[in-house]
Formats: sequence, structure tokens, C-alpha cells
Amino acid sequence: MSTTRRGVAVEAPLADDLFRLGHDDTTGRPRLHQQVAGLGLAAALLGELCLAGHVTVHSGLVAVVDRRPPTNALAHTVLDQLVGESQVRQLRMWLPFLAREAYDQVAHRLLRAGHLRSVRTRWSRRVVFQPADSTIAAWPEARLRYTLHGHREWDHSDMVLAGLVAATGLAEQILWGFHGDMRRWFLSLTDWLPAPLAELVAHTEAAVGNAVLTHRT
Amino acid sequence: MSRLSSGGPTSNVHTALAAGRLGVPAVMFFVLSAAAPLTVVAGVVTTGYAVTGVVAAMPLAFLVVGAVLAVFSVGYVAMARRVANAGALYSYVTHGLGRPAGVAAAWMALLAYNALQVGLYGAIGAAAAPLLHDWAGLTLPWWAIALVAWAVVAVLGLLRVDLNGRVLAVLLCAELAVIAVYSVANLAHPAGGTVSLATSSPTNLAVPGAGAVLVLAVLGYVGFEGAVVFSEESRNPARTVPAATYASVAVIGITYALASWAMTVAVGADRIVDASRELGPELLFTVAGIHLGTTAVHIGHALFLTSVAAAMIAFHNACARYTFALGREGVLPKVFGRTGRRTGAPAIASLTQSAIGLTVIVGYAVAGLDPLVQLFFYAGTGGGFGVLLLLTLAALAIVAHFIRRPSLDTTWQTRYAPIIATVALAVMVVLAVANFATLLGVDPTSPLRWAIPAAYPTAALLGLAWALVLRQTRPDVYAGIGLGADAATARTPAVADVPAAVAVKPPYPANPSYHGRAGDRQERQ
Repeated sequence: MSTTRRGVAVEAPLADDLFRLGHDDTTGRPRLHQQVAGLGLAAALLGELCLAGHVTVHSGLVAVVDRRPPTNALAHTVLDQLVGESQVRQLRMWLPFLAREAYDQVAHRLLRAGHLRSVRTRWSRRVVFQPADSTIAAWPEARLRYTLHGHREWDHSDMVLAGLVAATGLAEQILWGFHGDMRRWFLSLTDWLPAPLAELVAHTEAAVGNAVLTHRT
Repeated sequence: MSRLSSGGPTSNVHTALAAGRLGVPAVMFFVLSAAAPLTVVAGVVTTGYAVTGVVAAMPLAFLVVGAVLAVFSVGYVAMARRVANAGALYSYVTHGLGRPAGVAAAWMALLAYNALQVGLYGAIGAAAAPLLHDWAGLTLPWWAIALVAWAVVAVLGLLRVDLNGRVLAVLLCAELAVIAVYSVANLAHPAGGTVSLATSSPTNLAVPGAGAVLVLAVLGYVGFEGAVVFSEESRNPARTVPAATYASVAVIGITYALASWAMTVAVGADRIVDASRELGPELLFTVAGIHLGTTAVHIGHALFLTSVAAAMIAFHNACARYTFALGREGVLPKVFGRTGRRTGAPAIASLTQSAIGLTVIVGYAVAGLDPLVQLFFYAGTGGGFGVLLLLTLAALAIVAHFIRRPSLDTTWQTRYAPIIATVALAVMVVLAVANFATLLGVDPTSPLRWAIPAAYPTAALLGLAWALVLRQTRPDVYAGIGLGADAATARTPAVADVPAAVAVKPPYPANPSYHGRAGDRQERQ
């Protein structure tokens, strides 16, 4: 939804942006706990559908309002799941359900688009993902900071992104060096979102918190 | 929870989410490892005999308190089906008695669970010091061992290491087996040759100081209230949580009553107070060692330490969870609701509890106080009394909740049982306050006699005042009290008519003299 400094138009869906923010822009090292990252990306996938007008959220329930297939393959998959399981409507069931696969799904979407490459680690020989271009990988962070400085207006996609960043505990990644008004403004951005998107962000924050509270120790 | 039971049984979403859920045994293992049976039998019971000097009432007190808690649980688990919240006790008080009472209960809970947790550092220090001397010839002060235990708990809390459910289960079963074997051996070798049923007579609860023993019994059960925390994680919340709660109360009650009675039988009811004063927690193992040999004693010792350790971690996590939930609500500063990014642990809440633990250990070491009586027993009984108060408030809240929100549960579940539990728990509170000097084993004129029980009303009043401040100054936070992490959803903004695609401008001007990072600067060109 934005352009990089090279002027290349990057059609960056919400979940891709959140994935990039959740990983180091050069090494690809994850910045978030797996469970939290999953919940955040699940919310971002629902957010993409919400922003594109396919689904809406009200009183904690998800409803499909437009069944026409989205152009994005992953968005299509998620929408199909929502349509196929229409008897399940609670957002708080969809979040943990989608969270189980969201991480891999988004990673593979980025992989298919050439934004990530898979690398074997030297010691454990595990496959990890690394950004193919660290400039593009760093773009969401730069964009949010730039927008927060007031050089650009907030669109809904970035406001949801900001909300999910705060909900998953990544806010400091954006907010370092910011003080007072700007911090408060960033953390209250969701207040300006349309109700369905604001609710999506609020339930993500609640789900992340509950995951901590119900941890089995 | 309607959230879990709605939708068709064939739904992929339900099937997928149900895969990792907990059954009755799993929930019981988590609950009972917090209750720490061997810690209670070896530590609380013996120290209780030694400090209070009340013997006859102990086994019966466990049964009576077990019965009261079973009745309490009827309404408790019925409420758990209505109120989905992992914060449990204080959120029930909020739902039943209002938000100010909820914050008061939360403050009391923080105090009580922290006291229970730090008390265990005294227990592990006092118990492990002689064992290390025996096993390895090391002579360490209690506080050195306590500090090692503290460091382990602090690190595990920060890393959010999964305590493996299977390991907990094996340790717990071993603990229960050891208690059973010891008790049978004790009963087979009664002092004076005959098994005395004297301690099982109901008249024993009429002896002076019996109220003190009731608090000790409640202390033994602490942990049973945790089963409802797992309602959203359990396979069938409507059945798993009630079954696990009742079964835990039954297992705890029978184990403790049997073990404490068997000990008096083996030592002799007339000699057990002196023997406890002399040997402390070692009494259980020494008596068992006479009949079962040293191997049984070594096994018992090792399990005692793992039992204390498991309880320490469980209570640390309980404290951290409470603090975290209050931070998420905004009742405590928001930073307490922050998680460790990579670990997903309630990092700040966990660090805070560790800081409290460290302060207490260092304070006791510097002041040269006794780890067993003055730390473990005072903090433990103080915490146990706090939990008794919380249970009483929760019982009252359950009554109030079901009066205002009629449900399809039976009248026994929503009316009679909660009312009986409230009255019984209130009587126990009165008896406990009346006998607090006996409970602590101090002179009736000692300031501790009032200082410890008075800490809770003080905390409650502060909580109440704070809730009223929040109502005036932060209505959004006030609205979320008692909702735990779900408080985020209570704050969903009221800006309903935001135009669909209009960008929002920040309330401050763009900064023309902005010098950001290199990447950011290039963006402006």
C-alpha cells in the first residue's frame, strides 16, 4: 500500500508488514514469542479481509459480508475457511484457530513473493527465513516512525498495524526515541479506527494477555 | 463457557482447538502440585503442632475445612461457567460485589499469595540445610540455599519455562505414595501399642485454639482454587473443572487428615508437640525412618524438596499472573501487563515478585530471624488467613451474583450451597481472628497477633480507595476492572462514525527539524 524509497510500489498486505516488524530486518531473527506472533498474524490476516470489505466484526463476532474471492491467495484461503465454518462466529475462537498456521502461511506468502529466502543455520541445520532485501524488510518500521513524526497521514491499514504492534508488545520497536504526546498518540491510534477494526485490535490484545494468563505452569 | 460450547460438534475449528486441551487428571496435577502435599504434611502440620500446641483438632480440622470447601466449590464452579476469567477469585468478587470490592480483593490476593510464596523460601532453606550437611558434608546458612532457590524461580519465571506436566504428575504421585506408605507404617506401629481414635472425636474442635488449626487446614488446601483458571483450557469446561476441583479437595482432605492423624498415633498425642518442637519437619521422616529404614527417608527428603520447589514456582507464577492481569486492566501501572517479547512471559510482574522475594530473604538473613517459624510459618499462616478471607468474600460474591443474574443451575448450586459456604467461612474467619495468638504461638499481647490479620483490611481499604480514585479519574480503566486481559475489549472506543477512508492527522504539527535515522531522512526526499 506504499512505496519504498526506490519508488517501487510494494503491495504490502497487513500481515506481511507485521511479519516484517516481528523479525530483524537483516538476520530474520524473530522478535516475538511464537504464540504471540501467531495471534498477531492471525489478526492481521483477518484485518486484511476487514480492510478489503470481505468481513466485518461486531460484538466479538466475525461475519462474512462479501464472498467474492480476494485476489491474494492467502486472503482467499482464510476467507474460504471463514465461509466454510460459518457456524463458528466468535472472533476469540478464530484468532487462536488461525494462529496455529498463520505464521507459516504468511512466511510462505513472503517466500513466494521473493521477499524471504530460506537459509539453513550453521549449527542446528534448521531452516530459517531471512529477508531477501533488508530495505524492504525495514520499510514498515520506517514508515510507521515516519508517519508518527507527522510527515504522512495515517491510513486505516497503518493504524491497524500500529494497533497490532502495540497488542503484540512490539511498540518499543517503533517508539524508541519518541516521548510524551507522540507515544500517547501512537498507543491511542485505534480509538480513531472504525469499530470493526478497533474491536479486532482490542480482541487481539486480550487474546495475547489471556495466552499469558492461562499458560500451564 | 458459551464461547466453547456453541457451534456444531463437527466443526474443524472446535476439533483443532480441542486438540491440546486438558482433561481432569491434567488439571488435578497442576492444582495439587501447587497444594504441595508433602510440603504441607512435613512442614505445615509439624510446625503447626510445634507452634500452636494444639494437637487433637488437626486431623478433624482438615476434614471439616474440606467439607466447607467442597460446599464452597459448588457455587464456585457454577460461577466459573458464567465468568470466563483466568484471574479467578478477585474477578468473581468484582462480578458479585462490584468493582471497588474487586480491587480490594485483588490487593488482598496480591498480599496473600506473595506471603505464601516468600514463606516457602524459609521452608526450603531450613529443610535443605541439614540435608546438604548429611549428603555432601556442606554447611550452608539457610539463606544461601534460599537465594539459590530464589534465583532458580526468578529465571524460570522470566523464561516461562514449561514445567512439564508429566514430570509434575510423576512427582506428585510419588509424594502421595510416600505420604500413604509413611502413614500406614505409622498406624502399624502406634505408640503405646494401640491405635487411638481420640483425635477423631468431634469434641476436639471445641478445644481452645481450634480456630488456629482451621487456618492451618485452609493453608493446606491453598491451590485448590486454581482449577477454574484452566476452564478455557479444559476439554469440557462444564465437566472438567468441577470434577477436578471436587477431586482435588477430596484427595487433599483425605491425605492430610490421614497423615496428620497417623503421625499422632505413632508418636503419641501427648508427646507430639515436644517432638515437633525438637525435630521440626524432620519429625515425619524420623518417625518413618524407625520403621521403614533409611532408603524411605532419603526418598521422602528428596520429594520434600521437589515438593517445596514445585509449590514455590506455582505460587510465583500465581503472583505474576495476578499482577499481570491487574496491569492489563490498568489497575496497576500498565508496565506490569507487559510481556517479555521473546519469551511471552509476564516479565515485569515476574521480576516484581522476585524482587519481593529477594528483599524478604535478605531482610530475614540480616535480621537473623528464624526461617522456619518466623518466615515459613508466619508468612504461610498469614497467607493462609488471607486466602480464607478471599474465599469468604468470593462466597458472598457468588451469592450476590446469582441473586442478580438468575441462571439455569439448581437452587442448591446458586443459593443454598453458596450461603452455607459464606456462613461457614465467616465463622472460620471469626475463630481465626480470635485465636490468632495461638496460631502464631505468641503471647496474646504480642503486636504480631493483630499486625498480621490487620494487614488484609488495610490492603482492602487501600484497594477500595484506589478503585474510587479510578472511578473519578480513569473511567475507562474502571470499566475494565475484573476482566483481566479482556479489559482491552471493554475499552473499545465509542467513535462510531469514522469516515471509511479518511486519514487521521496527529494532534501535533509535523516536526520540521526532525533528525531521524538515515533511512528515515532519505524518505523525505
